[in-house]
Amino acid sequence: MTPQARKICMLGDFGVGKTSLVARFVRNTFSDAYLTTVGVKVDSKEVALANGQAQKLVVWDIAGRSALDALNMSYLRGASGLLLVADGTRESTLRTAIDLLMQSRSLLPDAQAVLLVNKLDLVERWEVAPSTLVELRHTLPVLETSARAGDGVEQAFAELAGRLQA
Amino acid sequence: MSSELSISGFSADVESHIARFLFERAQPLLLEFDKSWQLVNLQGDTARFGFDLDDARTAAGQLQDLFLGMPLDETIDLPFVQMPNGRSAHVHLLVIDRGYQVLLLDAQGEHDRQQSQQQSGNEAVLIGHQKTKAINQLRQIRSELESQRARLQEANALKNALIATLSHDFRTPLTSIFGYLHLLEEEPDNSAGTRHALRALRRNSNYLFTLAENLLEYARADTRSSLLAPVRLDLSALVADLLGLFKPMAAEKALTFSIALDKADSEEPLLDELRLRQVLVNLISNAVRYTQKGGVGVQLLWKDGALKIEVRDTGIGIAEEFREKVFIAFNRVGQAAGSGAGLGLSIVKRLVRQMHGTLELHSKVGEGSCFRIVLPGLAKLVPEADADAVEAAPSRIERMHTVLIVDDGPDITHLLEVLLSGMGYRVRIVGDATSAVESALADPPDVLLVDVELPGLSGNTAVFRLRAKGYRGHIVTLSATPTEEARKVALNAGANQYITKPIDIEQLARTMQRAVASS
Repeated sequence: MTPQARKICMLGDFGVGKTSLVARFVRNTFSDAYLTTVGVKVDSKEVALANGQAQKLVVWDIAGRSALDALNMSYLRGASGLLLVADGTRESTLRTAIDLLMQSRSLLPDAQAVLLVNKLDLVERWEVAPSTLVELRHTLPVLETSARAGDGVEQAFAELAGRLQA
Repeated sequence: MSSELSISGFSADVESHIARFLFERAQPLLLEFDKSWQLVNLQGDTARFGFDLDDARTAAGQLQDLFLGMPLDETIDLPFVQMPNGRSAHVHLLVIDRGYQVLLLDAQGEHDRQQSQQQSGNEAVLIGHQKTKAINQLRQIRSELESQRARLQEANALKNALIATLSHDFRTPLTSIFGYLHLLEEEPDNSAGTRHALRALRRNSNYLFTLAENLLEYARADTRSSLLAPVRLDLSALVADLLGLFKPMAAEKALTFSIALDKADSEEPLLDELRLRQVLVNLISNAVRYTQKGGVGVQLLWKDGALKIEVRDTGIGIAEEFREKVFIAFNRVGQAAGSGAGLGLSIVKRLVRQMHGTLELHSKVGEGSCFRIVLPGLAKLVPEADADAVEAAPSRIERMHTVLIVDDGPDITHLLEVLLSGMGYRVRIVGDATSAVESALADPPDVLLVDVELPGLSGNTAVFRLRAKGYRGHIVTLSATPTEEARKVALNAGANQYITKPIDIEQLARTMQRAVASS
């Protein structure tokens, strides 16, 4: 039986680790080299849901932007979920992630969203304060992740998959 | 050539040329699917975009995923989509009656150009962010260092204030001790035992005073403020004191001990006796302490207006690598384990510098050390008037001069009263600044001897008030603070002379002599 497929989009400023998170999630690989994404990369992976069913996630890794333009909007069409990604070592990327969520709401009013604060392995250089994350958790799920070490990555995708199912 | 025009406005030939050019660049791949996404037809090179035709179902699935969730009733354009083989393509979905056509146009060249531009732009922003962060961190570190420095300066100021207080508290009782010792020593019918006891008291008081002065000297933050106190020095008396102090110590260790004095100049040297004494006590006590056999020899040569000092021992010596370190406070050299705070030589160096002298150290490990010091006489440093005062020989007082003593300490006032009465002065005493002003104005004394540290208004305030009221009598300010600043404050307030505690009896006599002479 073909599992149900859902489109999810990675959204966030450039350099926050969206491509690395997808690489860790889909292929369990990581590279330290930073290579900016142009356009979009589409990958897919099946995840097992809590109810035992499988779900196919079609992951759109969209080029990092601080604001959504028409091009990005065209990539978002049909998405059921958003993985918003911020870089814990750059607090400004957290604001960008929230801004992108707001902007996407006009096109995707019902999309589920989960916030990933990445680069947990560099936590000693984080600018994002724990208290900020506590505040954010009142409005949306927030997970700290490390694409380099793999911490929180599976959980983040599973969290979103679970919310898509609900 | 055809002249037929197309919708672009260009001729068919031109259009055809453009089409060929774009076609070659785009390398289009057209895949046609039925309504259920079964591949029914294709045109173009599938391998260019990494599709495996042997697995058409997978290829169809990959393309179908691109349109997941989108309404498939109109054309969809997706620029720069990464294909299975990593190439970038513009993807277009065309809706036809029998299903869908997916047109892929190669966009790798354009992708690479954009990526190159964005990569350098993004990297510049990331580096800029790191740079800003590093600068902010450096600023924060600087700010922390500055506040730390401010705290240290504050602590240092507190320390100095404490030391100044200690200095005062220490000098005041010593004034009593030395003063009463002097009175007791002057008693004509002292027994031999009493004289011996008094000598021991004076010797040990001197020693205690010198050691404590070491600590105070070390703690004085601003060495420039230290005031030199030149006096005509009786070198023979100094030698006698040092022999009395160190000979028993040397004898206890079975060491020889000698002090040779050679006064080539006939005039007695003008030197800061207290500092010179500190230098000699420190050097000799070190020499005795670190010598286990042999002996310690001291030479003093007063010649050509300078005092040349040599302290030689047959002790453990100081290795080359430690010769600089021994002059640093609290840095006793490794092999020289022993008691003491490790302050002595640092104090010696500082005092010699204050007295404008030079210091040399010669040493050989296992054979001993030799310190050579040259101290210029301070005659050139003493102001004309002060020099006159220093050099003025005490003469008999012809009439009863009056002295008004302003001090709140009964021990000191009593001592001064005894001393000054003994010198032939008529003494009046008041204990505070207000009484001093009233008493001095009501019955002007020949000399007003006022302590700076009084309860309520300070002695300097009393002097200032008197001068403000036109008082013209001679004023000597007495203080336990031996700094240039304190001296300036007192003189600016209107004092004619400034002397410090502990009171040197001879200096007091000369000061009073000068005072009455000018009054």
